[in-house]
Amino acid sequence: MVDVENLEFKWGKKRGVGGKKRDVRFYESFTYDGEEYRLYDCVYFFKDDEPLPYIGKIIKIWENPDKTKKVKVVWFFQPHEITCYLAAEEALENELVLATGEGLGLTNINPLEAIAGKCNVVCISKDSRNRQPSIEERQLADYVFYQTFDVGQRTISDKIDEKIAGIEAKYFFNREGFLKPSADQKSGGAGKEDTIGKQIPEQPDGDMKVSLSVIHDKVAPVVQEVGSEIAGTDKKDSLSGLKSSSKIDSDVREGNKAKIDDSVKVPDEAKKINVQNFSRHDSDSNAAKALEPNVKASEDKSKLAKDSHGKVKSFLKELKTDDKLTKLGNGKLPKESSVQPPKDYKKSKKHALQSMGKLDFDRSKWFKELPWEERMKNAHEEGTLVLLQNLDPAYNSADVQDIVRQVFKETCTAKMFQRTAFSNPYYGQAFVIFKTREVAQMVVTRLDKGCLLLPNGRPLVASIANPSFPKKQSTFSGHLTLDKLKLQTQREMKEAVSTSHCSQPNTLEFDMAMEWCLLQERAECSWKKLFELQEKEYRKVKAELKSK
Amino acid sequence: MEYGAFEEKVRRTVYIDNLSPNVTEAVLRTAIDQFGTVKSIQFIPNYLGPNNLPQCALVEMKEDKEAKAVISVMTQFPFMMSGMPRPVRARAAEMEMFDDRPKKPGKEMQLRWLNPNDPDFQVANKLKYLVQNHTAESAVMLKKQLIEEEELSKKQGEALKANYKKYEMLDGVIGDETALQLARHYRKK
Repeated sequence: MVDVENLEFKWGKKRGVGGKKRDVRFYESFTYDGEEYRLYDCVYFFKDDEPLPYIGKIIKIWENPDKTKKVKVVWFFQPHEITCYLAAEEALENELVLATGEGLGLTNINPLEAIAGKCNVVCISKDSRNRQPSIEERQLADYVFYQTFDVGQRTISDKIDEKIAGIEAKYFFNREGFLKPSADQKSGGAGKEDTIGKQIPEQPDGDMKVSLSVIHDKVAPVVQEVGSEIAGTDKKDSLSGLKSSSKIDSDVREGNKAKIDDSVKVPDEAKKINVQNFSRHDSDSNAAKALEPNVKASEDKSKLAKDSHGKVKSFLKELKTDDKLTKLGNGKLPKESSVQPPKDYKKSKKHALQSMGKLDFDRSKWFKELPWEERMKNAHEEGTLVLLQNLDPAYNSADVQDIVRQVFKETCTAKMFQRTAFSNPYYGQAFVIFKTREVAQMVVTRLDKGCLLLPNGRPLVASIANPSFPKKQSTFSGHLTLDKLKLQTQREMKEAVSTSHCSQPNTLEFDMAMEWCLLQERAECSWKKLFELQEKEYRKVKAELKSK
Repeated sequence: MEYGAFEEKVRRTVYIDNLSPNVTEAVLRTAIDQFGTVKSIQFIPNYLGPNNLPQCALVEMKEDKEAKAVISVMTQFPFMMSGMPRPVRARAAEMEMFDDRPKKPGKEMQLRWLNPNDPDFQVANKLKYLVQNHTAESAVMLKKQLIEEEELSKKQGEALKANYKKYEMLDGVIGDETALQLARHYRKK
């Protein structure tokens, strides 16, 4: 859909050079596909086979000597990626979890071209260092976060470290003036632009090729109307930029005069607004820097620009704000129907990106659950490990979790025992890890005092588990060694230690092996007998049950 | 995993036990690769039994024919792995041995708490008691088995030592010419 070849690219302000030969250039920002990205912006990435986007915060931007462009990002995780550490049901609807600590999954260096768009992530941490977001900001946020996930320790926390991946915490909190709370905005009025201008990270897209001459005379007044309507309702604080636009307008005109005048004949009325849009196109130029507050404001008006430019694609990014505007505009805006859902936007982007800037890591493998044994050990120490007995052996671990959820309304992690030759095939057993010791004890007590009857006449038996963890042992009864190996037979034996083979008759080894086979056979018979007896005994008692 | 595919997997898999703790996945793979292609190996952990229980493992082969071959050879001949003379044992795998088995289709669970006044309550309690009793029985049985294994091992160790001593003695008498002298004495040479 999007022609990758034609995605424009432009570096922003240079930060410095690095590398051994000082041939790596670092930048503060860049413009890609008509959108300006700056350090500490949050961006989307897509991976071919993953339906959900990856979201990261840009912490470094550079160009290698071979002209490859890279961005380093600190990752945000979707709750589903770290389910074993954060219960999905506990997560907010659009919650992300910020990576912290050290280890795999904290950051990645990605091809710059892999960026699929900007993402508005708002920090809702109650941390005093964090500027609390306004209600509007929260509403406008694509995602919110307040928790961090330590990728090394694999723990969730609501504390935000002093530094994450070497980046100060302040860059992870909401930036001052990112969007002014409405109270501020009312009192601040037009005087606020300067501060806002410095802070606003977002530089909407647009391009100079767009001909403004297509703007209808009609559109401008409509937009103005809508704009003032919005400003009046304080729907979006920065919209006040519209009110104050006249002041900036003049600056804009000065800054961009040449270009605008050269290329376009703009009707006077329309100019006022379109100049604002234009300011964004030149966002790299110094003149535009001062105008960034307006940029924010004009985003909301980009609806107008879009319709007038007929350049839909680049504005779909502002859909969030557009939607609002559409509502407020109450159908006054032309061509509302041309607005596409953001999903499509992402999809189209995704397709475009398949040919460029692939992500070369498999994030799904990062946070596989801890090995079960580890988890069990931890749970055992914390007293949250419960042994369930008398389950139907056909159940799987998910079934057991279901039972617990149904009966106790508690989430847990269960694992059915794997049958071996020494386990009674009639009884299923499972280990269950609960969240807290209290829950584990409650479950055990209730199952002990009461009787939970599972299908097929099986009352569930529970106890606090006392597992034994296999230790590495060096000796094994049945494997013989001699200290001094001189003779032929023994030498063979020694050599055989590291290999495996079938025993040949007429050797001492074979004779001894036969003794083992006999023992194994005998043991098997005893087990069989025992299990049969036990089952019979159980069935006999079970027959006394009235209800089946 | 789909249930049908899982059943296929079970058929392709061999359960092997009596494995020494020194047997690693690599050792097992090398050993069983002689019979075909090993697709995957999973050791079955033992969290309740005694610590010195031999290891058990599931070895998935590429074809179920290969799995059958493994079982057939290992049943016919004692098969040594990482030591001797205690052979490993192979059997066909069962569904319940698998960790990642899918839900059995068409199974519905009805659970209910029994009222303490319900006559079934007593019966159910009896059953619960029985389950625990049986578990204890199995544990005793396992202990007994381990003791037997140790005894056999000890016995064989002694036999081997005696055997070794015999060979050493033979070696010795030949080495220090005692044998030669004896032969001369009895005019055999």
